Amino acid sequence: MTNTNDFISLLASKLGRSTPQSAPEPAAFDVPSFQVSSQERVRTFLDNWQALGGKGAIVKSPDEAIQCLQEWFGDLSFAQTTNQGTIVSWNLLPAFAESAFTTLNWPLARYSQAAPSPQDRHQLAAQAELGVTGADWGVALSGTIVTSSNPQRGRAVSLLPPRHLTVMETSKIRNTIAEILSEVSALENPPAALEFITGPSRTSDIEMDLSIGVHGPIEVYVLLIDDSEDTASNSSD
Amino acid sequence: MSTYKPIVEKRVDNALTNDFLRKATRRATDRLRHNKYNAADELGDWEKWRLAGDTIRSHVIANLDYYLKQLITQVEKNGGHVHLAQTPSEAVDIVSKIARDHGAKTIIKSKSMVSEEIHLNKVLEKDGISVVETDLGEYILQVAGEVPSHIIVPAMHKTRQQVAEIFEPLAGHPLSSDTPTLTKFVRQQMRQKFLQGDIGITGCNFAVAETGSITMVTNEGNGRMVSTLPRVQITLMGMERIVPSFRELSVLLNLLGRSATGQRLSSYTTILTPPKQSTDADGPEEFHLVILDHNRSEILGDPTFRQSLKCIRCGACFNVCPVYRQIGGHAYGSVYAGPIGSVITPLLENDWEKWGHLPYFSSLCGACTEACPVRIPLHDLLVKLRARKTMTGHTPQIEKRIFQAYRYMFTHEKTLRQALRLGARFQFPFVQHDRIVSGPPPLSNWTKSKTLPKVASKSFMYLWAEAKHKGTIPTPNSKE
Ligand code: SF4
Repeated sequence: MTNTNDFISLLASKLGRSTPQSAPEPAAFDVPSFQVSSQERVRTFLDNWQALGGKGAIVKSPDEAIQCLQEWFGDLSFAQTTNQGTIVSWNLLPAFAESAFTTLNWPLARYSQAAPSPQDRHQLAAQAELGVTGADWGVALSGTIVTSSNPQRGRAVSLLPPRHLTVMETSKIRNTIAEILSEVSALENPPAALEFITGPSRTSDIEMDLSIGVHGPIEVYVLLIDDSEDTASNSSD
Repeated sequence: MSTYKPIVEKRVDNALTNDFLRKATRRATDRLRHNKYNAADELGDWEKWRLAGDTIRSHVIANLDYYLKQLITQVEKNGGHVHLAQTPSEAVDIVSKIARDHGAKTIIKSKSMVSEEIHLNKVLEKDGISVVETDLGEYILQVAGEVPSHIIVPAMHKTRQQVAEIFEPLAGHPLSSDTPTLTKFVRQQMRQKFLQGDIGITGCNFAVAETGSITMVTNEGNGRMVSTLPRVQITLMGMERIVPSFRELSVLLNLLGRSATGQRLSSYTTILTPPKQSTDADGPEEFHLVILDHNRSEILGDPTFRQSLKCIRCGACFNVCPVYRQIGGHAYGSVYAGPIGSVITPLLENDWEKWGHLPYFSSLCGACTEACPVRIPLHDLLVKLRARKTMTGHTPQIEKRIFQAYRYMFTHEKTLRQALRLGARFQFPFVQHDRIVSGPPPLSNWTKSKTLPKVASKSFMYLWAEAKHKGTIPTPNSKE
């Protein structure tokens, strides 16, 4: 292994100068921006998400959320199962989702608290039927959900189960990844993992034939909670 | 004569006589190319995006020492370990030492071209470690004992029947060759391996200097598995794979997804700042970043070829190249194929004898240059590499002789006239429909696949002299 100073000074000599002591003037560039109204943004997000094969819905009340979950997962009969761990989730989900799962009596296994050893947690997630997470942002332009890791949120929850459900407020949807990355830049430190998830796991490695679910989730769902300020006025007219 | 010449010719012949390969390569590259056009169109003013990509990458290359130093400092501050490798064998030693120190039995790998470049798997396997390629395409090739033929779709040259046959011994029963069956089989195979991996090895699409983050782009989710489940993560990167901050990253992610597969964003784009925080439920406790030079510093020191370091490995130049589309990746014989492979391989490997043929795998049509999202003038570099090869004295004897003869003829008028007369007279055994269709070597190399116009019975020189004699040569300002 080469030491850092030698490595860097070799490059400086190849560039024909010494290494600058302070940061270079950042590159100046200009790219077209993509911006739409907040209502259109939610619509665009959902359209793009569905175009990639994801299922999604916008709900305005806990009742609608319950209805939606029943429609999507009712057949899996989570309420009857005695096996705790069929649904694995983050420690805390948006309030809508928490109350919906309680009302439905579908027990959630909280990933981070489920077992002390990482191997056991991985097994739990691998055997679950459904992983449930929140999200920090959505990207309208690409139909992407974005999650950042922290101790209450297992990264495997959105990865190992065959189905992944994200519950997110519509106010979290942004136009582009550029907006999100600039919000992340403002944090003191980025999270250990910032995951951009755009649709189900896919591959075209065999004869360019699109195929879903080779490693990650096969089915992906997003439940959007409408928390826009004009919801009240909209629904009253 | 170069000992590599027959090997290269054989590789190309194999490719040209393999109809499936050629069809598959064309079909795949067509698909990727068209998806890209759509995705680029939709962004509006693609040229502006390309210009931004070019500006960012040029800026990084011009300040590579500064950003690399910042990256190293930042990764170490985050609690990661950085290893710098001047050569492929140093990089391999670093990885195998980490593996030994942890007593690793199974290593799970997501796609990394650098690992191909340093031929990592062979060495780890010799140490008794089982290395599992987890990208579906790479896994097919690993089981088949082959190497990738495309940078984005590594097993592009395989048919579904071949894939089924490759997996049958593992399955222990016949497999149907439809895609869902094969995909499901691999999902099951891979699950246990993911959960048992002691170490995860990943590639790196972009490292972010300001934060010490690495970005990985995959569609299958294997990159996430490899960086989420094992206790130890090793990431391999070429030293030029850097962006200054998140601001530039978002531009390049846009360019990469769209140029590579025509996706707005690949299914899983993961920005990791490892190791995990101590109380996080998932993620590696230990993180090693291996940064490889392997003559990249030489390329950096060469103002002509420095630009090739801007590459973001999207594969767009492969998909438009008329040569790649005919012969596929294996005919190149190099880890990096396609136009960019033809540019960087002779430079990275610093071996003109073995790799000097690659700059000739081009029609110089310039389609690659036009496709490149960071505006590398690929065809221009290919011409300059040909010149570089000639200067290093690696031109084949026969080519040297031909050019010597050419120079002699065109500076000795009498001999040229004589030769043309003789040619016109004795060419008849080789002529069909006014074209030369066969001939003795070395002419036969040409006539194997193409024809030549026959030597005219009256040469231009002859006609010119005749006209001069008759006084019928038109002058530029004559009215007729
Ligand atoms: S040279 Fe340009 S087009 Fe080719 S792989 Fe690199 S970035 Fe893509």
